[in-house]
Amino acid sequence: MKTTMEHTISVHATSQGNGPAAFVRRVLKNRHFLYVVSIAGLLIIWHFFAVSSKDSKYMPTPFMVLNELWRIAHENLAGKNLWGHLWSSLHRVLIGFAIGSIVGVPLGLFMALNRYVNALVKPVFDLIKPMPPISWISLAILWFGIGEESKVFIIAIGALVPALINSYNGIRLVDPALYDAIRMLGANRWQTLVEVTFPAGFPALFAGLQISLSVAWSCVLAAELVSARSGMGFLIILGMTMSKPAMILSGMVVIAVTAYLITAVLSKVEKWVCPWKVELMQ
Amino acid sequence: MPVESRVDAMTDETIKIECRSVSKIFKQRGGKVQIPVLNSISLSVVENEFLVIVGPGQCGKTTLLRIIGGLETPTTGNVLLDGKEVSGPGPDRGMVFQKYTLFPWKTVMGNVEMGLKLGGMSKKERREIAGHYINLVGLQGFEKAFPHQLSGGMKQRVGIARAYANDPKVLLLDEPFGQLDAQTRYLMEQETARIWLAEKKTVVFVTNSIEEAVYLADRIVTLEGKLPGRMKSTYVVNLPRPREHIDKEFLKLRHMITHETELLL
Amino acid sequence: MESETKLKDPFSLKITPWVSFISFFVVWQLLIDTEIVPRILLASPVEVGKLFIDKLTNPDPDGAVLMTHTMISLLEALLGYVLALVIGIPLGLLMGWFTVAEGLARPLFEMIRPIPPVAWIPLAIFWFGIGLTGKVFIIWACGVVPCVINAYTGVRMTNPTLIQMARTYGASDWQIFINICVPSALPMVFGGLQIALALAWSTLVAAELIAANEGLGYLITMGRRLLRPDMIVLGMVMVGLTGWVIGNIIDRIERRLTAGLERGGAAT
Repeated sequence: MKTTMEHTISVHATSQGNGPAAFVRRVLKNRHFLYVVSIAGLLIIWHFFAVSSKDSKYMPTPFMVLNELWRIAHENLAGKNLWGHLWSSLHRVLIGFAIGSIVGVPLGLFMALNRYVNALVKPVFDLIKPMPPISWISLAILWFGIGEESKVFIIAIGALVPALINSYNGIRLVDPALYDAIRMLGANRWQTLVEVTFPAGFPALFAGLQISLSVAWSCVLAAELVSARSGMGFLIILGMTMSKPAMILSGMVVIAVTAYLITAVLSKVEKWVCPWKVELMQ
Repeated sequence: MPVESRVDAMTDETIKIECRSVSKIFKQRGGKVQIPVLNSISLSVVENEFLVIVGPGQCGKTTLLRIIGGLETPTTGNVLLDGKEVSGPGPDRGMVFQKYTLFPWKTVMGNVEMGLKLGGMSKKERREIAGHYINLVGLQGFEKAFPHQLSGGMKQRVGIARAYANDPKVLLLDEPFGQLDAQTRYLMEQETARIWLAEKKTVVFVTNSIEEAVYLADRIVTLEGKLPGRMKSTYVVNLPRPREHIDKEFLKLRHMITHETELLL
Repeated sequence: MESETKLKDPFSLKITPWVSFISFFVVWQLLIDTEIVPRILLASPVEVGKLFIDKLTNPDPDGAVLMTHTMISLLEALLGYVLALVIGIPLGLLMGWFTVAEGLARPLFEMIRPIPPVAWIPLAIFWFGIGLTGKVFIIWACGVVPCVINAYTGVRMTNPTLIQMARTYGASDWQIFINICVPSALPMVFGGLQIALALAWSTLVAAELIAANEGLGYLITMGRRLLRPDMIVLGMVMVGLTGWVIGNIIDRIERRLTAGLERGGAAT
């Protein structure tokens, strides 16, 4: 009896009956087969569209993109090759993320634990929160110039918000019964914090850090798009100003892959660090 | 013959817990809404007695248990443990919760030894004592498992071991088997009786099942079926242990209690 | 942490937020007035307020009145946003139910998905220039993703019992889709709308900061070029305010439409 969601809510892919017609129908409806068809079709359409559009100025073929990828990995653009630019960006992300979380996490913790701290900080935080981090860029450049500091500043702001919110909520939403349990075992205030509050809030905190890091990656790109002399954002803007769409696309590929890897690695780390976390639906 | 009776303070059994006219009113925000939950409960629990409080849902029995435990304070009246007033939660009262409330980030061993760890005991000693109780509840071999890997019955065993290991003066169990299926529930009732006989403690056990009460209790106190909770009757259960659910005397007592209360079990 | 119901907040706790709020502006003002922070780096609240009033009617020095900038930004964002909804939600819903839809659409989607929204900006500008089309494209590309994901997840979270029940009544796949999966997915769809909106707005601002000659992002950039921090702060405040307002509106619409349905997808 098919009880898994996958089987109950997908279309009856396994059609009744044998024989060549039913078989073909089944193949055509098989998910993986369709993936392959889709990818192949995409590449073909892309290629022909790129080739046929007037002066493939606007759209490089898939092959051209790969070619370009190879080129920038080896040649220097504005002083660095692909890896150099990638490291520039990552380097900024790491520093900004570190600052943002070191400030955001403890602040969120204290806000959740102490109502006065909450009453003090929340109003100001609520004022700042709706402003996208990138909107700070002009002020940042005015203050720090177009060097590293202005970018790290943006990233720090971007990383701070989710780190704070998630550590705040993580602590606030700890199951109160756990506090009952630990107090009945004889814990004092400090022990309660260490043995229940922090471990119970940790999964949410970690989730906040994951979001922070993703946001940080977005922020560094945005900051580099506005003004930079190195980095992945700079690379794709360069592609734009030099009218080289292949450069833009290959840059975007690297950016996307990096974003994906960040998420994937952190997910693995999360499973290792919080094995007990129940998978909640988004 | 099970009969309504009072525990006589003149006997040589010491009174462990005494509730004196305990009443509880819950106030909603600002004190505008008042919900009376308990009305003048007075009862005593004798040392090493297994007392069961029975009542239907929403009759205040959990609140009473929490007051005895110190997690809530009575609006009027007080609770004495060994003659001293109870004023807050503490390790001298061990509690087993209906929803297990284990620490999900700790292993079985980590959970059971938690009380001892909080008390500052050395690791070696803790492990020994916790190990003993893990064996007592029948979970030997599962010391390194995490709660999310255990079944409901096993989780509750951990809950019991955790409370026991801390060597409390009294054990308070709040409908501990309510989340389990019928089979596991019967099994856990048997296990509870076995564990308690092996290491006797004063127990206050709350349940909504008369059958469970008759199986486990030395004495049964019933609460009225509507708020505020009031004491209805008391029954002394003299049946020899281990008890049989289908024994004639068992069923007779069960029938009597059922007849008197609004419960059906 | 207490199991007792809370008593009323003490008065000191109630006024603290206001004290904090007001001191924030007071300190800010004082920092400028006392020249601890040079006037060229930051504008005081008073100056921003003055500029706000001024720019309600004065198109100088950036070329347009405040409302024009705001409306342009809003227009670009909302256009892209609505397009993203109109394409993304049906697509996500269909992908959640029909294997064929998922099989064909998913690979492309999975390739677009990890691209951070701002990374679309250079490509969009290269293809469409810095006008309306380019901006709408960017917003669409980044807004489509959460719409699809949430619609897809919403459908996949449909209570299987409801589906099985419908099948016993002989409902066709399409009927089940329309009558059960789609309504059941509504709460998650709205969640996606919120996410897409926040994303759309911040990405638009980023796009305008990079290349535009109108809009709030342009205002902010102009403020830097003309060394007018009051313009910068005004722009930032308007961005935050507008984003907050439309977020609230969506929230209200959601509450109206999903009253009665459980949050989380499965309508039982």
